[in-house]
Amino acid sequence: MLILCIGDLHIPHRACDLPQQFKELLKPGKIHSILSTGNLCCKSFIDYLKNLTSDIHLVQGDFDEFTSPESSIVNLGGFKIGISHGHQVVPWGDTDRLGHMQRQMDVDILITGHTHEYKVTTCGSGLQINPGSATGAYSTCRNTVTPSFVLLDLDGSKATVYVYQLVDGKVKVEKVDYVKPT
Amino acid sequence: MRKSIEEDDNLREALRYSAAMLGELRTSLLSPQKYYELYMMVFDQLVNLEAFFSEERNKGRSFSELYELVQHAGNVLPRLYLMVAVGCLYIRSKEAKAKEILKDLVELCKGVQHPTRGLFLRSYLCQRSKGLLPDTGSPYEGNGGGDIHDAVDFLLSNFIEMNKLWVRMQHQGNARDKEKREQERQQLQDLVGKNLTYLSQLDGLDYELYAGMVLPRVIEQVVSCKDGIAQQYLMQCIIQGFPDAFHLGTLDVLLGALPELQPEVKVHAIMSSLMDRLAKYAESDAAVMQRLLEMKAFEKFRDSIGRVLNAQTDMAAADKVEMFVALMNFTGSVLPNIVDNVNQVLAAAHAALATGLSGDIKAEKQLVALLTIPLTKYDVVTGLGLTEYPILMGLLRHRTHKELASKIIHAIVDSGTRIHSVEKVAMLFRFISPLIKDVEGGPRVDDMDDEDIEEEQVLVARLIHSLFHEDPAIHHAILSLAKSELMHGGARRVRHTLPALGFCALQIVRRISSASKASPSLRSNAECEAGFGAASPDINAETTETDAEAVNIEVKAVDAEAEADVTAAAANASELTAGALLQWLLELCNVLAEVPREPMMALRMLLAAGLAASEEARVELLAYQFFEEAFTLYEEGISDQRNRVTALHSIIGTLNRCYIFGSENRDALAQNAAAYSSRLLKRSDQCHSVCECSHLSWQDDSTEVPGVAVRDSARVMSCLKRALKIANSAKQQVTVAARAGDCSYITLYIEILEHYLFYFDRSVENFTASVLQPVIDMVQSEVMLSLTKAGESEAQRLWSKTLEYIHQLKVKATGDKVVRYSALQLPSFQQGSKASL
Repeated sequence: MLILCIGDLHIPHRACDLPQQFKELLKPGKIHSILSTGNLCCKSFIDYLKNLTSDIHLVQGDFDEFTSPESSIVNLGGFKIGISHGHQVVPWGDTDRLGHMQRQMDVDILITGHTHEYKVTTCGSGLQINPGSATGAYSTCRNTVTPSFVLLDLDGSKATVYVYQLVDGKVKVEKVDYVKPT
Repeated sequence: MRKSIEEDDNLREALRYSAAMLGELRTSLLSPQKYYELYMMVFDQLVNLEAFFSEERNKGRSFSELYELVQHAGNVLPRLYLMVAVGCLYIRSKEAKAKEILKDLVELCKGVQHPTRGLFLRSYLCQRSKGLLPDTGSPYEGNGGGDIHDAVDFLLSNFIEMNKLWVRMQHQGNARDKEKREQERQQLQDLVGKNLTYLSQLDGLDYELYAGMVLPRVIEQVVSCKDGIAQQYLMQCIIQGFPDAFHLGTLDVLLGALPELQPEVKVHAIMSSLMDRLAKYAESDAAVMQRLLEMKAFEKFRDSIGRVLNAQTDMAAADKVEMFVALMNFTGSVLPNIVDNVNQVLAAAHAALATGLSGDIKAEKQLVALLTIPLTKYDVVTGLGLTEYPILMGLLRHRTHKELASKIIHAIVDSGTRIHSVEKVAMLFRFISPLIKDVEGGPRVDDMDDEDIEEEQVLVARLIHSLFHEDPAIHHAILSLAKSELMHGGARRVRHTLPALGFCALQIVRRISSASKASPSLRSNAECEAGFGAASPDINAETTETDAEAVNIEVKAVDAEAEADVTAAAANASELTAGALLQWLLELCNVLAEVPREPMMALRMLLAAGLAASEEARVELLAYQFFEEAFTLYEEGISDQRNRVTALHSIIGTLNRCYIFGSENRDALAQNAAAYSSRLLKRSDQCHSVCECSHLSWQDDSTEVPGVAVRDSARVMSCLKRALKIANSAKQQVTVAARAGDCSYITLYIEILEHYLFYFDRSVENFTASVLQPVIDMVQSEVMLSLTKAGESEAQRLWSKTLEYIHQLKVKATGDKVVRYSALQLPSFQQGSKASL
């Protein structure tokens, strides 16, 4: 089951549009669900996402122009997945603090954004994913931002994280494996 | 007749019957359509007759005899048909000279003056004689058979006579049937046109002959016949029928004829055809382009249009624009480098449409087509140089104007084009004015839907990212211009676009800051400090004490002098400082803050700018100002509780990332945050927020400037202790209200414990096992107590996970952490098993 984790686009405040190279990869029909970390920011981007699949879960980013829940928990492919934007966690992007959020939500995988930096870590027994910013939008915390998004492939108790990054105009893919502990 | 041909082989009889058959064509009763059907039937039969004649000839009868014989037919029309039939065979057999026979026939046909009958007769002549003309290289040429001149003569004569007949039809009959007659005439137009087609197909027709003989005579006939239908059709015939290369040379003649045509002729259609053909021709051949340039074709067309417009003052607007569309396409294809031509076309179009479009939809469509051409044929940036463009856009209906403006914006953002100069940006805003502000003829922003406004403004906001220049000062000038233009749109519009401006400005701040880091200039830093430190003299004094940077000490000493320097430096626009830009941003945030019901966006911008001021520009005073404004906005502008909670988190989160502040400033801000945290309405929010505040006193090491992270463990401790108090009173509330089963306060305790753990793990001073243990034990007992009240609760589940986590930390501990963690006594707790303790 393919799940798209994407966010921090900041359209139109900080970026004009999703990179064309990414648009070409994201076609309808292949993705089961979309988990958005927030800060899209305009409503029209939701329509673009709806075009890819109907199962979309949005959470509130601090710059979003629409309201959605602060956090969301979904059950997909046997995994319990939590989503939140991440600006609520201080210090921003801190693994331990995010771990606390993960324990509070009681989820196997926690997906957050806000830092505009792609990251995959394990904390305790859970997996933390940050898909970064899909447009490479300006971030107050980082000088250079590489556009990125994550495709999560869930299969039984195995989760494969594929990260797509746009480097020098070319799309590079990396993968990280994770197995849910019993 | 057929019978007599096939069975009897009787020439006399055949002739008699054929004459009778052809006599049918003498009727005046049929409409052209019906006559045509009759004609075709007769034509088929004549083919048989011609075959018979050929046979006869083979039997020995010569064509000259036949030719003689057929002239005995009683009536003119049958006689002439037969003569044409035989005559053509005669030529084909080469027994006679083509030239003579043809001349004969074309003259004799004058005997039929009835328009319909005459036209068909001559059409028959034209058709049958095809291929038999003494064209250059044809077998019928020479030897007295004539040459190309004779061929041309023949066709021209036939053409002229046919046209005369055709025109005469117009005046037949009474005025009532005029429309019907005109329709009928149009059905017959191809008969006349065939002559010109055959003329164009002559091998021997070269340019000299065309320009010298053919065209003048044709034009003369066209103009002198003074018939609108004929002129319209024939001009198109000429343009479409003859090669483009010929038109190049005879352009003046063609254009010269136009003003002389009847008023009802749609001259614009003719001009458009001509221009389109030449444009296509030029596209295929570069030499042609050169020629068109040399002969000033564009100017000729432009002037011709002018003359036509003068002559036909009540031409429909749509038709006028159509001419300009064709002219625009022409110059775009032929002279793409001369952009001024495009502007001239637009200016001329505007002059022609001086009275406006007055609601003419067709005209508007044409105008949109006209305005779209520069977008597609040229890149948008060039298009922005067309000064006449926005004026012409103004003639469109409001909705159409907006659509076109949207198209222009899409052309820019979809192609990734960047607009570099202030002038072009100014033009751009003129182009898209209906999207930016209220304009005449359109709805006022107050009457518009939120959604519609959002859709438009999001597009405009995306556009702002396309405005760019490498030089920060020029880029800033562009953004300033954009801002002043956008402000005309009112609060409902700018709330969508100002943030984009703000972030573009922040990116400039980053560029300036990283440039100055690469070539450090302490002077510019000092300028920033001194110039904008006018705010609070107290703070100035404080920072010089604790701030390690030598720069500030310098500043204090030469305060008065530096200020004068700064104003001079600030006036020098080519040297934009981060500080000046941030000041501009502060004003922007204030504008945003005034947008009703939208304080959160302003707050976020303030915080983002504050962080940039702190970490990138490294201007402590300005950073402090931003946070001060943020707190003010929080206090006065944000009343909704949920918003307050999120706002406070954002402030704390941002502040945690700021390393620039000296201890006085830092303390002031931290205390503010803590105070506001305690005043939140819900206990849980208070607790959460106060815990977060602890991070304001203890930061991770900065990657930029190592060693300046604040590490005040006493403050951290006091924050967490305060949080505990809040959690305690929350518990009190539950107990007092006797709300059995409400264990929410336990999650507060667990949260606080997590914070203790955070600092314990980082070996923060005073956070020893002896401090942590009591908290662990306390939570454990609370959880145990809660078990007796109700079944499993969220608190229990969370506690078990937390314990598991601490256990993992203990196991994974390395180095000196091992000792510290081993001092912790962790109770074991399994979810759902109350008996395990």
